Amino acid sequence: MAAAALAAVLGVSGRTSNPGPAPPDFGSTPSGQRAATAPSPDRTESQADTPLEATPERVRIPDVGLDARVRPVGVTEQGAMTVPEDPSVSGWYRYGPVPGSPHGSAVLVGHVDSDTGALGEFAALYEVQRGDRVEVRRAKAAPAVYRVVSRATVPKDELPPSVFRRTGAPVLTLITCAPPFVPERGGYRANLVVTAEPLQG
Amino acid sequence: MISRTHIAVAASAGACALALGVTAPAMAAPAQAQDKAMVSVFHGIPGMTVDVYANGDELLSDFKPGTVTDPQSLDAGTYDIRIFEAGQGPDGTPALEKQVKVPEGGNATVAAHLSADGDPQLTAFTNDVSKVDAGKARLTVRHVAAAPAVDVRAGGQPVFTDLTNPNEDTAAVDAGTVNTDVVLAGTDTVAIGPAALDLKEGTSNVVYAWGSAEDKNLALATQTFSGMESMPSGVHAGGGGAAAATPNSSDQWLAWAAAAGAITVAGVLVARQVAGRRG
Repeated sequence: MAAAALAAVLGVSGRTSNPGPAPPDFGSTPSGQRAATAPSPDRTESQADTPLEATPERVRIPDVGLDARVRPVGVTEQGAMTVPEDPSVSGWYRYGPVPGSPHGSAVLVGHVDSDTGALGEFAALYEVQRGDRVEVRRAKAAPAVYRVVSRATVPKDELPPSVFRRTGAPVLTLITCAPPFVPERGGYRANLVVTAEPLQG
Repeated sequence: MISRTHIAVAASAGACALALGVTAPAMAAPAQAQDKAMVSVFHGIPGMTVDVYANGDELLSDFKPGTVTDPQSLDAGTYDIRIFEAGQGPDGTPALEKQVKVPEGGNATVAAHLSADGDPQLTAFTNDVSKVDAGKARLTVRHVAAAPAVDVRAGGQPVFTDLTNPNEDTAAVDAGTVNTDVVLAGTDTVAIGPAALDLKEGTSNVVYAWGSAEDKNLALATQTFSGMESMPSGVHAGGGGAAAATPNSSDQWLAWAAAAGAITVAGVLVARQVAGRRG
């Protein structure tokens, strides 16, 4: 039941572009899953080849001090998304859209902490607020810039497939782990999912 | 890698009757009405440009050997497929003719090709466009060449063995570029290739080994279906638990508390509404 309670969403459903500081009770709208689970609306384009120059190199959220190198990752032998061992490094899911893509959900992942006790860069996601600016630096292209629209905590086995969708409206999805922490069940039992939309202009 | 051999062989054995038993794949279904089927055509008869007719209507004209069409949405049903040398149809004598049943929601490729003995024939194959696991691609090889049994190798290792005309074999393989070749079954005698295949993640790739060994024009042609990707089985992005336990994490606990509070508030509101209706 604890997991179910944590499935509730720290979402921010407002769609305005007001970049001001989110109010302290930004979790007050339990319908905030919208951004994380919105179905693909109208696009049907399939995965495009990733131009080399668009490869993400660094992700920054200055408001919370997140600054992580990015490297492409795929899946493990067990079929889970590969997460860089180093908690200061973020992984970009290279089979899905690239940050800056006009379609689908570009996914970045980072360890919330390491086995040795250090906090990861993505632990800062616990403090993001709606409107926070997210920059993805790219090899040979201008940064892809997003703003945070929602944050959701979901049990690990209920991560919505839309997080990995390759079509539909473009978003950047940042994922890390979240409590409850149950060592005998492999550690963290939930994922924290932050969704950001492209910043226009 | 060859775990699906028996399934593929069974499917191929039934290919002449073309029973498309597959369920409509989730990704392929939305684009088409339920009474439709996706049909593509492969031309693997060397040296003959053809026109293709379905129930008397021209489906393709000036269709060249070694090419495969994009899937077309057709009404489900039974089609009289006739292949003419270019310009000879539809009233002349077809070079090939076959009744093909296309069930709704199915996905098929009709292949005009040579038999193992070199006689032109039509074979209908069912395309597997079901999901593949994250990080994987589906590789299917169809032996439609005038040639004996072959093995298909990837990176020098056999992926499919003892494949005969007009059969196919299928496996899910790691996505990426693989160097493939086709050898005479049980030997290292290369019949086709090597060729680099770019197997993109979440796609189904059908490779036709076609042509004639006797005429030394054996070749490969590839047909790709996309949209078969699956999400990873999980995202395990935690370590020792520091983020759940460090003294510095009071902020995050405030956030969790805020979330719990939000739920409580929402619960109260719902309760009040219910109470109000009762009242």
